[in-house]
Amino acid sequence: MEIVNKFQETILDEIRDANLNYLMLAQQMIKADKAHAIFRLGVNSDIADLIGSLSNSQLIKLASANMMLTRFRFDDSVMLGMLTSNHKGQSQAIAHSSILMACQPAQAIA
Amino acid sequence: MKVKSIIDEAEQLQLAIELIKLGARLQLLESQTDLSRERLTKLYKEIRGSSPPKGMLPFSTDWFLTWQPNIHSSLFLNIYNFLKVNAGLTGIQGLVKSYQLYLEQYHSIEKADDHPLSDEPVLSLIRAWTLIRFVDQKLLKTESCSCCKGNFIVDVYDLHEDYLCNLCHVPSRAGKYQKNKKYLLAA
Repeated sequence: MEIVNKFQETILDEIRDANLNYLMLAQQMIKADKAHAIFRLGVNSDIADLIGSLSNSQLIKLASANMMLTRFRFDDSVMLGMLTSNHKGQSQAIAHSSILMACQPAQAIA
Repeated sequence: MKVKSIIDEAEQLQLAIELIKLGARLQLLESQTDLSRERLTKLYKEIRGSSPPKGMLPFSTDWFLTWQPNIHSSLFLNIYNFLKVNAGLTGIQGLVKSYQLYLEQYHSIEKADDHPLSDEPVLSLIRAWTLIRFVDQKLLKTESCSCCKGNFIVDVYDLHEDYLCNLCHVPSRAGKYQKNKKYLLAA
């Protein structure tokens, strides 16, 4: 019996890839400039410290979970609909989403 | 005031260089460092290749309430507050880091525009610094938009019931003047 078919296998591979990409990029950003990384990632300084201090083997272990490690940052459907609608120019939409992103509280360790 | 240690002086010079590169004027440099006016002027000339601009700093709160400046300064203030809460940055470091992040955002906003206005960012470093002082002095504050829940800069003494921000409720002539001006200049 085939427990995981080819299609599922590909998706899981892709998730692991995305996780690894994300963690490596995040770590690079945190090491380069912590304050900028905190803003771009939308996490608080505890999480930034944690990701920044992961060793390579820890990073790979964490990335190989078959669940996405990142989460969607817009959790309001009204807001999201507004941003993706074509009523206003591209530049206004970018400005708006940047402002809304910056207003949101950062992800924190509870 | 006399600068005591050499390391301290080097750090202040570094800060001054960074601030000048971001577009600071002498008033900001003088308030944030203990370096003498002559040295700051020299430094400014060396980096920018011209004398520092003279005259008063912008002092009006009204500028922050007009359409495009309001969007840009709200963006900056949100970044500044985000870093204050989440990275514990305040004072001049908070200003520098958040202004750098604002410049990045400005760059992508401009790139998306069909008619890029100019290389000069809408919100200058001096205006960003002024904005923070205005907010500290409670001349301006932020109000949450009743539609998108984003925080935008408003006057403390205006009425803000059911406040709609400049992006949820775009004024009919918003942004037209600058574009026309650009065409007129090109013609």
